[in-house]
Amino acid sequence: MFGSSGSRVLNVINISYIQSRSKRVWVRKPLGSPMAKSKIFRITPKPVLPEDEKAEIKRLFDNYKNSMKSIRHYFFEQSLKQAESGEVAQMKHRLEDQEHERLMEENRLENEKTAMLREERLKIQAEKTQQNVLASLIKKEGEAKLHKIQIEDFLTKQMSTPFIQAENIEKAIEDALANPVNFNFALDLNGYVYRGKDTSIDTIPEEKRERLNSN
Amino acid sequence: MIIMASALPTFTKIAKVIRLNRHGCTNRPFYHIVVQKTKDNQDGPVIEQVGSFDAMPNNKNEKLVALNFERIQYWLSQGAKLSDPVAQLLGLSGFLPNHPRTIIQAWKNRREPPRERKIEAIKGIAPPLDNPKL
Repeated sequence: MFGSSGSRVLNVINISYIQSRSKRVWVRKPLGSPMAKSKIFRITPKPVLPEDEKAEIKRLFDNYKNSMKSIRHYFFEQSLKQAESGEVAQMKHRLEDQEHERLMEENRLENEKTAMLREERLKIQAEKTQQNVLASLIKKEGEAKLHKIQIEDFLTKQMSTPFIQAENIEKAIEDALANPVNFNFALDLNGYVYRGKDTSIDTIPEEKRERLNSN
Repeated sequence: MIIMASALPTFTKIAKVIRLNRHGCTNRPFYHIVVQKTKDNQDGPVIEQVGSFDAMPNNKNEKLVALNFERIQYWLSQGAKLSDPVAQLLGLSGFLPNHPRTIIQAWKNRREPPRERKIEAIKGIAPPLDNPKL
């Protein structure tokens, strides 16, 4: 009459459909329907409780709620304790410990393997570095020797050049005054050099001309 | 077609309740004390049955109640709520403190005069039916 279906289908957790044949449950009067004629002028008597009774009821309920709260908390704690100490938990702990030991053993073996490899690698590296160092030392020694030889050559060269010492100075001055050096020269486009400041081209015959040498 | 809330995959937590499920026949109720999700109907899927309550007194004038205290304790520890009748029964059994309703009902019963009965009172282990409310 009010528009709901007669039968319902129940879905259970593993999704199998079970048909329910129970009666339709009356929940409430539909919202749009009018008030029944027998109930239009009805005034329901309000239930009056004396104050002390209300207080007593409140006291009872408060005490009950308090005790229920504490009882629930106590049950919860007990369940936690039981979970920790129960057989299932113990077995779990044992299995976990075994697993831990196995993994630690595995880790140790792996570490050993890698340690051996590492040692070999380090040995090889050490040898290489040793060889490198030796080679570089030898090289440096050789270079030092070369350097020494070069320095000696240079020194001998310098010593062999005719420096003017304190004894030679007067002779050197006389020589210099006696042999003046003229740096003036001119070049020809044909590649001939004419030395001296005041030499003119006409005075020198063709055969005696100098050729400019690139020294 | 009405789909039950517990059948769809819910990711919100639905609270669990310990309450009475009416079984039995017409004019002969028999209640199972049962752990269910709040959203489920009375005749819907049940997580666990935790006792029974026969509302009709037997020929020795007893109303028989069965309660599995261990499992009730477990479900209370997991946060299940109690419906009023179940709380009253547990209080009367001694597992929990007495529900205020039992006490209130008791003093109201003592106040009112006994009403006229059509059926004769059964004599047996329990005291005779003086009290109108029982």
